[in-house]
Amino acid sequence: MKRRIKKKNEESEINITPMLDIVFIMLIFFIVTTSFVKEISIDVNRPTKSPIKEQKKSDVISVRILDSGQILIQERLISLDAVRANIESSLALKPQASVVVVSDRDADAGLLVRVIDQSRLAGASSVSLAAQK
Amino acid sequence: MEEESEINITPMMDIVFIMLIFFIVTTSFIKETGVDPSRPEAETAARAEQGNILIAVTPSDQIWMNKNPVELQSVRILMEAAHAENPESSVVIVADELASTGIIIDVMDQIRLSGISKVSIAAREK
Repeated sequence: MKRRIKKKNEESEINITPMLDIVFIMLIFFIVTTSFVKEISIDVNRPTKSPIKEQKKSDVISVRILDSGQILIQERLISLDAVRANIESSLALKPQASVVVVSDRDADAGLLVRVIDQSRLAGASSVSLAAQK
Repeated sequence: MEEESEINITPMMDIVFIMLIFFIVTTSFIKETGVDPSRPEAETAARAEQGNILIAVTPSDQIWMNKNPVELQSVRILMEAAHAENPESSVVIVADELASTGIIIDVMDQIRLSGISKVSIAAREK
């Protein structure tokens, strides 16, 4: 009884210890589950099939990848190192052109990514991907 | 001096709350694909800020998602579910250097059919 009277005189405060426990547990959960790792990637488009967006054939620089790993631009066989220079010269003639990489189904993805990379280095704003067959 | 002397925990609470809010906001739950293909090198590759749906293609043209091998036919349904969970997300295809282009194009088509327009291919910085 004595104790109660004594307590009434004290300042009554809300006990925040349980809340603190919960907040700490949530904090630890989020620290543990957060992953700041982001994939490094290159953007690729698929050509749209809608007729409105269909581009004129003259505005397209097409790069062909054969399943043997060979690269063709304008029916000429070129090496991977020459892709950039070829696209740069085509872009100089047609600055609005977009690059379409037409790849055989069995070609390696690594070569595809390298060709897209070289096209982007050459200054192509958008690179699309199409499949042969 | 007769009072009980307690440590004032209010500033600590403030800091803990700010950290909590920071981690809640920045957390993005990336679902691992379950395989780690060797990514091709690219010089123009950039960090995908919103890319948190991952789908992997192995050298033997298997498709992996959420630590399970999946069929091409079920990619669309899985993508639709992932897109509904996080509508702002984009897809990153983690394709092996030796995977074939055809399967990547098939996967991209399935992703586009599910309504996600932003697709990119994972690469390694040179």
